[in-house]
Amino acid sequence: MAETLLDIAMMHSDALIARAREGDKNAQGKLVQLWYKRIYNFSYKFFFDHDLAMEVAQKTFISMHKNLAGLQEVTRFKSWLYTIAVNYCREETRKKKASRSFSLNDLNPGDGEESYYWEESHQRHENPERQLRHSELSDLLQKCLMELNPEQREVVIMKEYEGLKFREIAEALNISENTVKSRMYYGLDGLKKILEQKQITKENIGYEL
Amino acid sequence: MNYKPDESTLISYLYDELSDKEKTKLENYFQQHPEELAKWRALGDVRDMMSFAQDKEVIAPPVFVDDSNVRSLWQSSYFKISIGIAASIVFLLVAGKILGPEISYSKGELKISFGNKKVVEPVPANSLTEEKVREMISASLASNNEKQQTLKEEDEKRLMQSLVDMNSRKMDVLAKNASLASREQVQAFVAGLQEQNLKLMKDYFQLSSTEQKKYMESLLTDFSGYLQEQRKQDLQLVESQMKYYEKNNNQFKQETEQILTSLIASPNRSKNNY
Repeated sequence: MAETLLDIAMMHSDALIARAREGDKNAQGKLVQLWYKRIYNFSYKFFFDHDLAMEVAQKTFISMHKNLAGLQEVTRFKSWLYTIAVNYCREETRKKKASRSFSLNDLNPGDGEESYYWEESHQRHENPERQLRHSELSDLLQKCLMELNPEQREVVIMKEYEGLKFREIAEALNISENTVKSRMYYGLDGLKKILEQKQITKENIGYEL
Repeated sequence: MNYKPDESTLISYLYDELSDKEKTKLENYFQQHPEELAKWRALGDVRDMMSFAQDKEVIAPPVFVDDSNVRSLWQSSYFKISIGIAASIVFLLVAGKILGPEISYSKGELKISFGNKKVVEPVPANSLTEEKVREMISASLASNNEKQQTLKEEDEKRLMQSLVDMNSRKMDVLAKNASLASREQVQAFVAGLQEQNLKLMKDYFQLSSTEQKKYMESLLTDFSGYLQEQRKQDLQLVESQMKYYEKNNNQFKQETEQILTSLIASPNRSKNNY
């Protein structure tokens, strides 16, 4: 994953976190701007639902704002933030189980330009058709991810998409590194089986794109 | 060789986090077990495929947090204290303006006074002191008492003198009259007195006897009236009792008649029933 300016800023945000911890509202605002996309995408991949992802991201940053003063080590900010996000994801999962609901878009996503995927494709100016295929593939893979159990899913997302170290994941989930690696292994193995079932191979993907 | 890598080792190798020694060990294992290597590579392929899942672009919305710890200037204790002090000063100034206070310090004595200053006239050096005034009051009281005493004594003397003079004059007149009256005149005077007394006695007895008579008469009249009234009431009582008995008797008679008629009628009825 190519490092963007945002990623670099995130990696060197210790001073910002320290200031935010001391109650600097400006620094807290900047932290939200830096980390919002990551937390949103983590939640989105966890739920494959924009509204729930927005809900979790907002709750996470409200909680961050309230509890940042209690953060002992600045270097642990990343795992601490993901701990909050994971906890909210689990809470929302419990709520979702209690009241089973689904998006209207899931009923009939439509085809081509009719599809809401088309509407959601953000870089339409590049090559709309290609972008649509990208978007559809992304959602297909996302659906495969959703078939994993939540414990494996959260580890896979944290490692593969959020780029956390095993140590950081272990801290965030409050489990041992070996458990994290074990969940990762079974997660990837599970995904392999799911992809095989859906006949998604490397070759297919290359041909599609 | 019994070495078999666990999941943790395989994943560490996948993410290139193994030490050189473990890496060599695992690579040797893979050389001996190509099927395990293929399995491991398949995990790598899954990673490659999953990397096509894109991030969603999202703009961080403004997060408004109600910070209850932040208090407005109006609620800060500093503001409240300073406003309190300012209000007190203003109050004092207004009160001062109205009452006209005066603060003075002299000879280690602090004086705060309000209102117009009392003008105290300077006391002359040879003026009256408190003791002098007391002495003067006691002296005047003593002289007044003496005067009162002498006046009282004089009045008593004069009164006694006048009484003595008046009594002696009366006694002289009586003695003179008594000496002038003859024996006949005295006898006539005594006889007059006896007559008067007799008349008085007579009148008294007459009056008392007529009064007694009148009283006795009225008493007898009242008693006879009472007796008449009592007799009348007794007669009424007897009459009412008689009426009551008569009524009872009639009622009893009627009831008896009814019972008799019913008794007479009942055997006929029983006969009819048979």
